[in-house]
Amino acid sequence: MFSRLSYTFREMWASLRRNLTLTVAAIITSSVSLLLFGLTLLIQRGFDNQLSQWSGGVELIVYVENGAAPENVTVIREALESTPDVIDVTRLQYLDVPASLIEAQRLFAGDPETLQLITAENIPTQFKVVPVEGTSAALLQQLSEGFRKLPKVYSVVFPSKQIEVLESLKGFIGVRLYLITAFLLVSAVLLIWNTIRTAIFARRREIEVMKLVGATNWFIRVPFMLEGLLQGLVGGVIASGAMLLFNANWTTGVQAFPSESGFGAFVVTGGYPMWIVFWIVLLGMLVGAIGSGTAASRFLDV
Amino acid sequence: MIRLENVTKSYSTEVVALREASFDIAKAEFVFLVGPSGSGKSTLLRLMNRQEKPEKGAVWVAGRNINEMPDSKVPMLRRNIGNIFQDYKLLSNKTVFENVAFALEVIGRPKHVIRQQVPAVLDLVGLSGKEERFPHQLSGGEQQRVSIARAFVNRPLILLADEPTGNLDPATGEGIMRLLDRINKTGTTVVMATHDQRIVNMMRKRVVQLDRGIIVRDQARGVYE
Repeated sequence: MFSRLSYTFREMWASLRRNLTLTVAAIITSSVSLLLFGLTLLIQRGFDNQLSQWSGGVELIVYVENGAAPENVTVIREALESTPDVIDVTRLQYLDVPASLIEAQRLFAGDPETLQLITAENIPTQFKVVPVEGTSAALLQQLSEGFRKLPKVYSVVFPSKQIEVLESLKGFIGVRLYLITAFLLVSAVLLIWNTIRTAIFARRREIEVMKLVGATNWFIRVPFMLEGLLQGLVGGVIASGAMLLFNANWTTGVQAFPSESGFGAFVVTGGYPMWIVFWIVLLGMLVGAIGSGTAASRFLDV
Repeated sequence: MIRLENVTKSYSTEVVALREASFDIAKAEFVFLVGPSGSGKSTLLRLMNRQEKPEKGAVWVAGRNINEMPDSKVPMLRRNIGNIFQDYKLLSNKTVFENVAFALEVIGRPKHVIRQQVPAVLDLVGLSGKEERFPHQLSGGEQQRVSIARAFVNRPLILLADEPTGNLDPATGEGIMRLLDRINKTGTTVVMATHDQRIVNMMRKRVVQLDRGIIVRDQARGVYE
């Protein structure tokens, strides 16, 4: 068992060194494509943070003053629910103080100074209003005038033009980045496939002898498959490092932007970047395994 | 040990390498396959270790029909068959010891077995003291001895030799034949394809002669003709 393992790793290492140029090319291609994949997820998350206030078709937010009595909140809710032909009552959502604080943390993740000023004692609570399909913006605007006059209503806001632009930008960028990523991942698979094929070709005499003395196909295949897997893994680790570095630089950079720039929420913090790292490394290994596995099966069956 | 029953093998509709070939080879027998180039000698050897499969007929090795053997069982079959080639097929980047050890290593033999069996077989073929040499530092005869050591190190039941003296001068070729004879006397069946008239006449073993894929002669203690 130990001698087999030592043989497998020794052969894998020897093959990696023999095909150094191709190995480096395969690692670079896989790391670039995986980095792009990671950045796509980061950008999507940034958009989600920026748009989280307006997600789920919300087109109107009624802010309620901090410290409003429950009966005031009930009056506002009843007023909103009294127009079921305009407001989708089933999707009406109330964010109390803790929920509003959580949302604020996402919205102002890149603006710690503002975030510091927001506390449970001063944050307004909010009703998120989803209109019935087909409701015109003018009608909603007209209705909102009535809500604005209700007691303890702090303000009533509509999504700005900027938000609408961001919504369409998110769709535009997201789809194209995923397409480019898929394209690059396919090239990484092909390059790893070609590296393994070259490695097998370079060792065809050895493989012929191995087969004639009774080595099993799996015994011959495994070092090649491990070689591809390692290329994908190294590509994934490099891509993860680059992605984390990029994210750290961006998060620091955003803090220097003025608050009104609208980029405050366009940062990704917490555990999400590590979640992306997990997927990048897993995808890298998958790319390596697919590329090398298919090459090894295709060229070793002699 | 080996039985062929009406074996036909062709590489295309025009090239029939072997036609209705049938014969038996007993355990510990030494058999020469003779005939001109293209007569089907190498095809016969390739059929015996399942490098090829016939269109018709059956090839039995050690009591098993190897054409019906699943691919996964072929490595186990080949561990019982040693192969020797005209061009030696040695790995140029490995030493004599490593070339022979390689055959044991790739079938998963433990290191202590390798350390014990390789020197013993190198001693048998007369290469003691040359373990650390690379193939390019050896003569043709010595390279063929390494190839024989690699084929025999796992003590196979059968040795298949395809023109093993083809690249060697007569004196060296005779030395190789004496070695194969010694191995044969240990109970190993030897099947050898050759053009070497002198060697066949010298050894006086069973001769199976082929001509355009057909067995035209099967003679005990035969000569080349």
